[in-house]
Amino acid sequence: MSATPEAPDLKAVVRRALAALEAPGTESAPTTSDLSIDEELALHSIGWEPVELVSGVSLVSIPVGWWNWGQGEITAAAEAHRHAFANAITRLHREAARAGGHGVVGVRIERAVHPTHVEVALVGSAVRPVGASLAGWETVGLCVGASFVFAPRRSVGAVLGQQTQNVELTNFTEAMYAARETAMTRMQDGALALGGTGVVGVTVEEGPMGFASHAVGFVAIGTVVRPGPTGHQRVAPITVVSLDDAAVSFDARTLE
Amino acid sequence: MSDAPNDLPEATGHRLEELEKGLFTSDLSVNEFLLIKEIGFHPVGFVMGSSIYHTGIQTRKWSQSQELTKLTEAMYNARELAMTRMEEEAAELGADGVVGVRLDVNYYEWGKDAAEFIAVGTAVKAEDGVSRRNALGKPFTSDLSGQDFWTLHSTGYAPQGLVMGTCVYHIAHRGLGQTLSTTGQNVELPNFTQALYEARELAMTRMQDEATRLGASGIVGVRLEEKSHQWGSHTIEFLALGTAVTKGADPVDLATPVTIISLDH
Repeated sequence: MSATPEAPDLKAVVRRALAALEAPGTESAPTTSDLSIDEELALHSIGWEPVELVSGVSLVSIPVGWWNWGQGEITAAAEAHRHAFANAITRLHREAARAGGHGVVGVRIERAVHPTHVEVALVGSAVRPVGASLAGWETVGLCVGASFVFAPRRSVGAVLGQQTQNVELTNFTEAMYAARETAMTRMQDGALALGGTGVVGVTVEEGPMGFASHAVGFVAIGTVVRPGPTGHQRVAPITVVSLDDAAVSFDARTLE
Repeated sequence: MSDAPNDLPEATGHRLEELEKGLFTSDLSVNEFLLIKEIGFHPVGFVMGSSIYHTGIQTRKWSQSQELTKLTEAMYNARELAMTRMEEEAAELGADGVVGVRLDVNYYEWGKDAAEFIAVGTAVKAEDGVSRRNALGKPFTSDLSGQDFWTLHSTGYAPQGLVMGTCVYHIAHRGLGQTLSTTGQNVELPNFTQALYEARELAMTRMQDEATRLGASGIVGVRLEEKSHQWGSHTIEFLALGTAVTKGADPVDLATPVTIISLDH
């Protein structure tokens, strides 16, 4: 992810809602967050508190005609995807900053690629530190990489020739690899640009695009981390035997 | 099974180069990441291998139970290609092993008999610089989670490799006479029972053979999966998967586990 594009202005209604939070006397104002009670307690125990539920949304259009026929990468789609994420993240940051947050946790990512546009919605809880906090590892941000490529069609001769054989379809394998490598590299570049030393919790989503049979997509999303001021700290886990009732693993009624 | 060609695509080079410079990527959760650090391993990168494979045609006899060797071979070959490519990536990164390996099969619209076989996992390296590779000098692979990997290490076991056995089996249909004669009765269907037994035995035996080749003393976390893929109801793939382990030489003192009552639901 290179330079973040300038996001359009927030809607007036959003601005009013945020202005209300900045108004004097907000010290005791109620805070909103989508964290569970456990999560909120855990947050307080490390000297942080939630301030506001924040979101960032962006829809970016893809020019018509890119999905149908061609070869190599579908650059317009990848560019739209990158743009949509960059916009949504910028807006999320902006909302969090206005609410006085220093970061956003528990971000839910809703993402969809349509033939004509890419849609990204991020919702999370803005948090700020209230005391001294020790950090073994710090989270730096989200990193995303996406790539869409055409899988070349096989010739009729090849299809017939391979009909009865066990054989690897090298052109498809190569297309999948190209999409994967490009997307993963973009994700890594994003992590390096944020000054991270690692990416944890990477999730990948891959497969053919439902609306274009010969296009495949690969999207990787992860959280960028780097060692904090104290460096890595041992967690020294202990082994426990839980006395909770075991979950039912066999149910005779499921046999039919 | 297959003669592993060193044929990673060119684009892989750039991604792996960045990883070699010190950035790590991993699909481990934060908990798993910390547990792996705890026992002296560091994740080096998210590695994967894949192969899109066309399975050939095999004739089956309607009334005969038999292994479909051509399909078995295809399932083996394709998974082997994906696994080998994943191992190559891990070896390129100088990793000692790959944890959290997932093996998947995806079907696309490209052709009825074409499937993508994919293997992904997180490559890890020991921080003390001592090689933990397996008996064959390759990075070990394992489908265990970070938590299981920690437990295994704390008890003195070391994973050797993800082992699998597969068998694609055609189960004979019953004749009309047989069907009629058992209508309304409680009765075992010996031909079905026998066919399922044999297929499972073949898959399990093949998995054990792979473990023996690695010099393992046992296999943990074995899963037995049965899938019809796209072959219709009477053709089933039996897949046995597990992590082969060996016991380390050093005696291990495992602390007595603490009993807890969790307040979670």
